[in-house]
Amino acid sequence: MSRHAQENLASVLLLAFFAGVIVLCQDFGPRARMIPLPLAVFGIVLTLIQLVWHNFGSPAALQMEMISVRAPDIPVADAPSAPVKKPSWQREATAYGMVGVLLALTFATGVMPAAFLFTAGYFMLTRYCSWQYSLLYAAVLTGSLYLLFVVALQMQPYHGLLAPLFP
Amino acid sequence: MIEAIIAGLTALLTPQAMLFMLIGVVYGLVIGILPGLGGVVAMALLLPFTYGFETAATLALLLGAHIATIWGDSVTSILFSVPGSAKGLALCFDGYPMTQKGQAKRALAASATGALLGGIIGAIFLALCIPLIRPVILALGPSEYLMMALWGLTVIATFSEGSLMKGLTASVLGVLVAFIGMDVVTATPRFTFGSEFLMEGISFPVAMIGLFAVSEMMKLAIKGTPIVDRSLVKEESTVWQGVCDGFSHWWLVVRSSLLGLWIGVLPGVGASVAGLAAYAQAVQTSKTPERFGKGAVEGVIAPDATMGANEGGGLMPTLAFGIPGGESMAILLVAFIGLGVVPGPDMLTKNLDLVFSMVWIIVIANIAVTLIGLGITPWLARLPSLQANLMVPIVLAVCFVGAYATRGHIEDVVVAAVFGIVGYLMDKYRYSRANFVIGMVLAVMIERNLHISLTLYGKDFLLQRPIALAMLLFVLFTAALPFVRNWRRQRKQAAAAGVSAP
Repeated sequence: MSRHAQENLASVLLLAFFAGVIVLCQDFGPRARMIPLPLAVFGIVLTLIQLVWHNFGSPAALQMEMISVRAPDIPVADAPSAPVKKPSWQREATAYGMVGVLLALTFATGVMPAAFLFTAGYFMLTRYCSWQYSLLYAAVLTGSLYLLFVVALQMQPYHGLLAPLFP
Repeated sequence: MIEAIIAGLTALLTPQAMLFMLIGVVYGLVIGILPGLGGVVAMALLLPFTYGFETAATLALLLGAHIATIWGDSVTSILFSVPGSAKGLALCFDGYPMTQKGQAKRALAASATGALLGGIIGAIFLALCIPLIRPVILALGPSEYLMMALWGLTVIATFSEGSLMKGLTASVLGVLVAFIGMDVVTATPRFTFGSEFLMEGISFPVAMIGLFAVSEMMKLAIKGTPIVDRSLVKEESTVWQGVCDGFSHWWLVVRSSLLGLWIGVLPGVGASVAGLAAYAQAVQTSKTPERFGKGAVEGVIAPDATMGANEGGGLMPTLAFGIPGGESMAILLVAFIGLGVVPGPDMLTKNLDLVFSMVWIIVIANIAVTLIGLGITPWLARLPSLQANLMVPIVLAVCFVGAYATRGHIEDVVVAAVFGIVGYLMDKYRYSRANFVIGMVLAVMIERNLHISLTLYGKDFLLQRPIALAMLLFVLFTAALPFVRNWRRQRKQAAAAGVSAP
């Protein structure tokens, strides 16, 4: 999908979101919807302007020469440019999958075991180090997290959906 | 007053008080660096250990820990663009680009120096303003707080990146997300879909972990290279440069500190607003605003100076009226009760030595944080050059544990993951995450104060509150300023093009 189409899709999703907010606001009393309702209408207007301009207007018309705070992947002026690989859809899907796997592990095994399994698995799969070192690093990290959060900060750990299987 | 100043210092110069302060500072630095945990958590966890000790020592432990979390928050914002809490958000805008340019040491040192100077200036002005502040606080009501929140929203214009429409849309999204949960004014559950978890609303630290930390790790995993590749960008800055920056921008530090003190004095406004407001005033008063967002050291100094001074300001309403200036000050109030200290006007007359003990704690703790901070900066500055395959799993695991630890709800881990993906997409399609967060921070404050103003003064509340009306005019002026600047710049460019054309 082209970048142009992706931008349009993002605008359509935002329109749907704001429309959903307007529908939900109908169930609230006048005071409870005093701010969210007009704000959602304002959001629709903004998104429509963005959508129309993106497709029919000059892209420069909506640009403001102000402060860019999107620092992370903007190449800084003084720095030499790095030969960075272009992120493909596979790499992006892997990143989504990575977050999904950690989330699933957390729900299945609990917070601390998930931290251990995820870090050890990540090191092994990316071949960052040998499997022995992967396990060692993961154990050190999990131990530190346990000491900090559970022992020092007295956090009650979540044991996961699989906990009843291991009495 | 001089006697009280000396008595306040003498009470602190005991081995127990000094040891407690050192423990508090080291503990606060560790907590501040952990995502999702800030000064409030640091103080809340220390509370059970404070009974039975000297009053000054107890306060040194609590305030020392709280002050240290400020710089701890800044560290991760500067090195990884991952704010430890909402306070550290403004540090991401220029601190992280400085790290990318190979100036991490300078940024960290400037941040520590800014916080130190801000803390000291804030404490001095607090001491001087003690007799004056009471009538000022009493003159402000909900209408004025509403105007202050609206002023915070106009900051959004400063943070526009590319399309103004996208910037504004992001802020609208942030405000709407903040409305998820029980409406405090009408007791109406909004956008909760019957979920008990959503009744409590979206936790701000968890949303921050997702929007910044998780999404940054996703980007790093996709990129596959370290944040700073030392083969391409060498670390050329020094700690000393950062220290000098803090002193050479003394006027910015003074302005930012006074702003922080003022915001701290106002109950309920909070340090997260203070950091963003400081950044905005640094941009708006700069002769070269185009440098901001690309690694301008002023963008690091201003928020840190403001947050350093904010703590002193927060003490004022807490001590004088028993009204906490923020969540951390509410915890301090609980500690006061445990110590048998009754906040109120008497604090500024009969217990003035205790007030000055706290002013001294702010100064000494800030010095300790800066010294420790400057000492560990060379090691901290190496972290961004760690390989992506090492950083990503460790930071993600810490973030998920941190998200869970914030409230002890497993659903918060899902929120962090969802906000991580949303943050990544927002960054990809250039919908400003900063605007989103500013919207979230100010939404509740705007709504609550609007409702109270309408109830107290009716629909024409602005006409009945001249201070609020004057503030509204100021808000309109500051909102228009970037647009006027932009128009002038374009006109200059057009004129220059006309001259150079044959």
